Amino acid sequence: MMRVAFTVGTGLFCVAVLLVWLFSPPPSPTIEAPQPILPASRIPLAEVSRHGQADDCWMAIEGKVYDLTPYLPLHPTKPGIIVPWCGQEASEAYRTKTRGRPHSAEAGELLEKYLIGQLAE
Amino acid sequence: MSPRRHLALPLAAVILVGLPVFWAFPEDLAFWRSVAIVCGWLGWGLLLVSLLLMIRESWLAEWMGGLERMYRWHHRSGTLAYLVLLLHPLALSVDAWSEAPSLAWPALSPLRNSLAVQLGWASLLAMMLGLALAFSRALAYDKWRWLHLSLAAAVVLAILHLVYLGLDDWLLWVPAAAIALMLWRFLRSDSGQAAHPYVVTRVDHPAHALIEVSLRPLATAITARPGQFVLAAFADAPSWKGFGEYHPFSLSRIGKDGEIAMGIKALGDCTTRLQHVQCGFAARVQGPFGAFLADAGATPGLWVAGGIGITPFLALLRARPLTQPTRLIYLYRESADAAYIGELNEIAAGQDSLSLVALATGASDPDIERLIPDPSGLAGCDCYLCGPPGLLDSVIGILAARGVAASRIHFERFDFR
Repeated sequence: MMRVAFTVGTGLFCVAVLLVWLFSPPPSPTIEAPQPILPASRIPLAEVSRHGQADDCWMAIEGKVYDLTPYLPLHPTKPGIIVPWCGQEASEAYRTKTRGRPHSAEAGELLEKYLIGQLAE
Repeated sequence: MSPRRHLALPLAAVILVGLPVFWAFPEDLAFWRSVAIVCGWLGWGLLLVSLLLMIRESWLAEWMGGLERMYRWHHRSGTLAYLVLLLHPLALSVDAWSEAPSLAWPALSPLRNSLAVQLGWASLLAMMLGLALAFSRALAYDKWRWLHLSLAAAVVLAILHLVYLGLDDWLLWVPAAAIALMLWRFLRSDSGQAAHPYVVTRVDHPAHALIEVSLRPLATAITARPGQFVLAAFADAPSWKGFGEYHPFSLSRIGKDGEIAMGIKALGDCTTRLQHVQCGFAARVQGPFGAFLADAGATPGLWVAGGIGITPFLALLRARPLTQPTRLIYLYRESADAAYIGELNEIAAGQDSLSLVALATGASDPDIERLIPDPSGLAGCDCYLCGPPGLLDSVIGILAARGVAASRIHFERFDFR
């Protein structure tokens, strides 16, 4: 019975992946467009605060500004934990997440992918 | 089976599945994203159950209702884990679709995602490959056994998937437990740390392509009872290449001084080579395992043995006289295959309660219906079966058709694939 379940389950999974590939339309240019702001740009906190929504989420962390909009769906915690920090200076929250412990080095490497500029003093 | 033995396995499964799902149960999340998270942790819980049930410790097997039952549920929980984990990326894709259809494929595609997602995909594909191989009957056992290790690689990749997702809170106990269980299996069972050292003291040839090997303990002896089996490995000796891997063998004798004997029929590469084992060779023994015949003798019995399946019944007959009327049907292919037939005839001649029916079946299927008593003769009987799967299936079908309750039909299949 388990062999049948494995075969049927694997077949249905492959069909489902194929269907998503076939019927998911290509992303609109606005979503795929490169960020207009270069990582070397200097961004004031006032500009960061204008991006305080889940669908437009910038954060200032340790003097750098990140556009975390595409990352939010991938973050392992509940949105209620990370979304309130959108548009904020979030260094303290980044350093002291669960029970006061900092994020891992891997999280730091991941964060750099979303860098869009330096925080202007 | 006692209620404790019956309940321990499902109870352990509920705890191992329920704890991570309960702890990670999402709140205030979109429906399909919640489904994805629950599927992920449900799959992890089932993986832990599967890993726990591959541990070969006699005390654990005693708690869980026997090694054979553990392996059956090891297969089921592993397959269920895979099926549930297949839903995890699909549910994430549906969640992205509900936000915008154009996000569905980017959310699913391993090529358009982070290393964490790619590791998740790698784990899922390794699991797919490992299970496809695990279900293969065409592979020889030794190749199958090594290829089965790809499932351990799938678990390691799944652990890395969690680590790269940034999991570093209380739920870290889940991957930690997975690593601990895999190390436990490798160190205690596969590398033999849980095994007892023995030495071969006697080799008999009770039938064609069959030896009975007697072993004496060199340290602590195992404590076994008739009907149980052990996992044994035989070390290299001068001019003889042993087997480092452990194979199951039913005990045919349990001596008072800790000496044990086991029947070994030449059925594969390993057991064929073992036909040349000699006195003085070293062996390592894990176990004992199994509860077959644990309650035999308390009620009238019907015992059906096919070929080497006579071994556990012989162990019981050698250990003590029967007190209840028992009919032993012993089927073998040719007279040259009739292992222990002389000894069995002697025991039957000395015990009025034992009725022995020994029959050479030849190449054709035996007429088992004729050998099994009618329903009135089976009333109050406990039926114990040991032999090839085809024989077991036939006899179980006949007994069920003659009104024997499933709880009175006892057998172990010894299928560890």
